[in-house]
Amino acid sequence: MRLLVVEDDAMIGNSLRNGLRQDGYTVDWVSDGTAAELATAATAYDAILLDLGLPGRSGLELLARWRARQNPVPVLIITARDSVADRVLGLDTGADDYLVKPFDLDELSARLRALLRRRAGRATPVIENGPLTLDPASHEVRLDGNEISLSAREFGILHALMEAPGVPLSRSQLEERLYGWQEEIGSNAVEVHIHALRRKLGSDWIRNVRGVGYMVPRQP
Amino acid sequence: MTSIRKKLLLTLIGAMSLVLLIGAWATYGAAREEANSIFDYHLEQIALAVRDQDFNGRTGALAGDERLEFVLRIWDRNGLSIYYSRPHGELPDVARLGFSTERTASGAWRIYAVQHRGQTIAVAQPMSVRARIAAAAALHTLTPFVVLLPLAALLIWIVVGRELRPLTGLATSVARRTPDALDPIAESGVPDEALPLVRALNDLLIRLHTALKTQRDFIADAAHELRTPLTALQLQAQVIERANDADSRRAAIGDLRAGLERATHLVAQLLTLARAEPGAALPAPDAVDLPRLCRQSVIDHAALADARHIDLGLADGPADLAVTGHADALRTLLDNLVANAVRYTPSGGHVDVRCGSGNTGAWLEVTDNGPGILPAERERVFDRFYRRAGQSASGSGLGLAIVQAIARQHDAHVTLDDAPGGGLRARVVFRKPG
Repeated sequence: MRLLVVEDDAMIGNSLRNGLRQDGYTVDWVSDGTAAELATAATAYDAILLDLGLPGRSGLELLARWRARQNPVPVLIITARDSVADRVLGLDTGADDYLVKPFDLDELSARLRALLRRRAGRATPVIENGPLTLDPASHEVRLDGNEISLSAREFGILHALMEAPGVPLSRSQLEERLYGWQEEIGSNAVEVHIHALRRKLGSDWIRNVRGVGYMVPRQP
Repeated sequence: MTSIRKKLLLTLIGAMSLVLLIGAWATYGAAREEANSIFDYHLEQIALAVRDQDFNGRTGALAGDERLEFVLRIWDRNGLSIYYSRPHGELPDVARLGFSTERTASGAWRIYAVQHRGQTIAVAQPMSVRARIAAAAALHTLTPFVVLLPLAALLIWIVVGRELRPLTGLATSVARRTPDALDPIAESGVPDEALPLVRALNDLLIRLHTALKTQRDFIADAAHELRTPLTALQLQAQVIERANDADSRRAAIGDLRAGLERATHLVAQLLTLARAEPGAALPAPDAVDLPRLCRQSVIDHAALADARHIDLGLADGPADLAVTGHADALRTLLDNLVANAVRYTPSGGHVDVRCGSGNTGAWLEVTDNGPGILPAERERVFDRFYRRAGQSASGSGLGLAIVQAIARQHDAHVTLDDAPGGGLRARVVFRKPG
């Protein structure tokens, strides 16, 4: 899952990036509106954390622009503006959630999970696909009730594939979700993680669609 | 006693009583005069009436009636008393002719004496009779007014009370004012005498409102601005909790330290600003040595400038220059200017601190060769918590607001313009004393 953090305060931005990485997200952080525009134009993010009090272009302006372009990306506003009028304006401009600073990192994570769950059209927190279950909150993966231990990257790939069973994702799509801007991607990094997943789950769980990518088959 | 109502009542009733007393005294005087002339006339008439009588051997005819106040006495040509209407009386023996007033042991007597065919006839009357009649006349005039005095007092009490009622209304409307509702008091219906009071009150209310609003805004701004460092601290602490290896934990603790430093700095700056705001208590001003102030500030920031590879130094200036002010406050002012210059000048730049004096007065100056501030922004950067676009928000946003507040305390003004070598020149000009 790849997130964009738009936050002008260096300390908050840095801590958010570190904290969300601990949750297994891939995080890009920009500190002004122009950089945010560039980032969203180049990358498809799974969710955006947006501060409103940005220098130059305001957060609300950015949000209105994305929504005008029919960009459906879930947006969670994080701001110090706590009045009811501000919350209403933020949500009505197109935000999916609104969190007032200072906030708890665990609450932010939970709200993010809820946003991503809804975006995938699920109401239950645990993703189930037949005997294979994945819990985005606890990072637990179980097959027939037995816990499978995965690395952060392996979990990220499986999570992306299980969000839409039966829909293949290309290698570059998976890379985009897995690696932030500054991270080096080995030429066969995705293949290495897919191989490990097949070894741990059984090769039937990750299918290769030739010329397209990988998918988790939908279970009845 | 401070009640206007009571005071007016007592003063007015007192004045009225005084006037009445004077009136009564005058009446008494006039009545006495009147009585004198009437009774003198009577004395004379009685004397003349008995003049032709023959009193030989018929003394005592008129005696015995105690109600009679007149005394009649007749002497023959040998000075022998041949008639005395009241022998027990104190009437003096020797009578002068015509009117006279004689003092005796029983009081003053008015006497009229006339001579006729060798006989001397004297008619006398005690003066106390006349005084009594005059006093009665005066009392008669006074009585209705004395009876009416309580009524007058009641009327005064009611009328004054009614006229003072707008003051009660005024008090009610002042009492209704709270720190949240300090709207001016309406001037309509206020008596002319109370209008200056109402205007002064309204003036005070407006100033109070402004002062309260400034305070409230300041607190709101401060609380709002504290959220950012607190958010960072909370996140930094949680990142430490979640760190699962020693390296990332160490890095996260470093972040938390920096976050604490920033929050501490912001609180310190808020406190400094609060102390520099108008109305803060200040010690007595003293002579402040500007060259020494500059040197100290350069020394204090030397390590920071060195770490950022900035050439911070003292430029040439007079060795002896002083202004009247508060040394600690001026040091805070200069420190903020120097810290700003060091913070915003890129690595390898230089910052100069100098002081001097010109036609307008002494000045302090900090110049750098950093990016400067656009003319359009040079007023707004003095606002509390103003953040310039494209600047990383590492400062408290209060530095220049503090500089401005301290400069105002010293009747000095701050200007920002272009330094000769590019960059920013911040100058604080003190008004010449006198």
